[in-house]
Amino acid sequence: MTNHHKAIALLAVAGAVAAGIASVSAHHSTTMFDHSTTMTINGEVVELRWVNPHVSLSVNGVVKERAEEGAMTWVMEMTSPGNLVRAGGWRRDAVKPGEQVEVLFSPLRDAERKGGALKKLTVIATGEVFTANIRQQERPGLE
Amino acid sequence: MRSRVLAAMLLALVSTAAADAQNASKKPPTIINPPPTAQDYADLAKLPDWSGVWNPNITDQDRQARSNPPPWNEKVAKEVEKMWAEEKAGRPKLIFYGCFPEAHPTWMLVTHNAMEILFTPGRVTMLGESDGNRLRRIYTDGRPHPETPDPTFHGHSIGHWEGNTLVVDTVHILPQAPLAISEAVGVPNDGDMHVLERIHLADKDVLHVDLEITAPNILTKPWNTTRIFFRQRARKFDIVEGVCQQGDYREAKDENGHHIFVPIEKTEWGNVVAPK
Repeated sequence: MTNHHKAIALLAVAGAVAAGIASVSAHHSTTMFDHSTTMTINGEVVELRWVNPHVSLSVNGVVKERAEEGAMTWVMEMTSPGNLVRAGGWRRDAVKPGEQVEVLFSPLRDAERKGGALKKLTVIATGEVFTANIRQQERPGLE
Repeated sequence: MRSRVLAAMLLALVSTAAADAQNASKKPPTIINPPPTAQDYADLAKLPDWSGVWNPNITDQDRQARSNPPPWNEKVAKEVEKMWAEEKAGRPKLIFYGCFPEAHPTWMLVTHNAMEILFTPGRVTMLGESDGNRLRRIYTDGRPHPETPDPTFHGHSIGHWEGNTLVVDTVHILPQAPLAISEAVGVPNDGDMHVLERIHLADKDVLHVDLEITAPNILTKPWNTTRIFFRQRARKFDIVEGVCQQGDYREAKDENGHHIFVPIEKTEWGNVVAPK
């Protein structure tokens, strides 16, 4: 195999790995979260990914119920942007990186993973509250 | 000599033209979609008002998943029970892998997002949110289904009005398209699925989609269910573009400073992985 061919083969493997990551697609059920449990994290917003089908919010901070772990980055998932606007009063700029927040969430059942389903977000500086319950839209003529 | 060559060329041209004419007479006539008339547009005003945005009754979807399950055949029923167990254990099956469309009729059955319904002469169009590819074209111009199937995620739909009810007949759905009753419980329809719908207003702002689903390779008999949608007129309910695959990427910049998307790491269930 020439160096040129080796480079192509490596690229193909890299492409397959990238494709493998992307192919586990975003459109999923939410039962991997333990909806019977609510935890609280206080910390700083790292990133708000305002994308379909699940918006995600990364927060670096301490989870009250797992304080012994110290500050870590957790990823909170939600419904789609459209549903968040309608059901939870969200905006694309509802929170920005660096802002202090408190998030109530249901954690992934797999405790090794730092992930959760966001239930309620409070922006500390403004006191603004955002929720993520899509079932709040289940009647006609909402305002 | 020159005149003989010209005569030969002329003869060849005439022969070709005659052959073309003969072939043309054998060709089926081209079917065109005629331009709508002013009357066609005026007639749309006589249809019921389905304007606005329709969002689903998800609580009722969840209720029916248990209270009105499809009549799965014996083999599929066992698979479905396993899926329920896995979902309960927090390992939900990723039915909508690859960000493929929920497809028909599963879009109607389990969607969590809104849709809008447009009337134009000869057609009803349903546009959904979140997948970026939730789109149903229902032909109401009297055409039949095509004789040769060309299966798609949403199949081939023809419809007609019975009073204020739109009756829709859909065939030619891809065998891979799932028949699902939740985002984690469902199986591929495996072919030959036929969906009949009666879509109508059950109340001023409540739309009912009555479905009869025949899927001989996974069900023992036709399955009937009604799905409920609520009308919203507040502008914040306007449908927004939603591209499912975007969720698998994050925004970044390449070496030239251009805005691009790069893949992010996901768990086997599609969750975003937190940075270490």
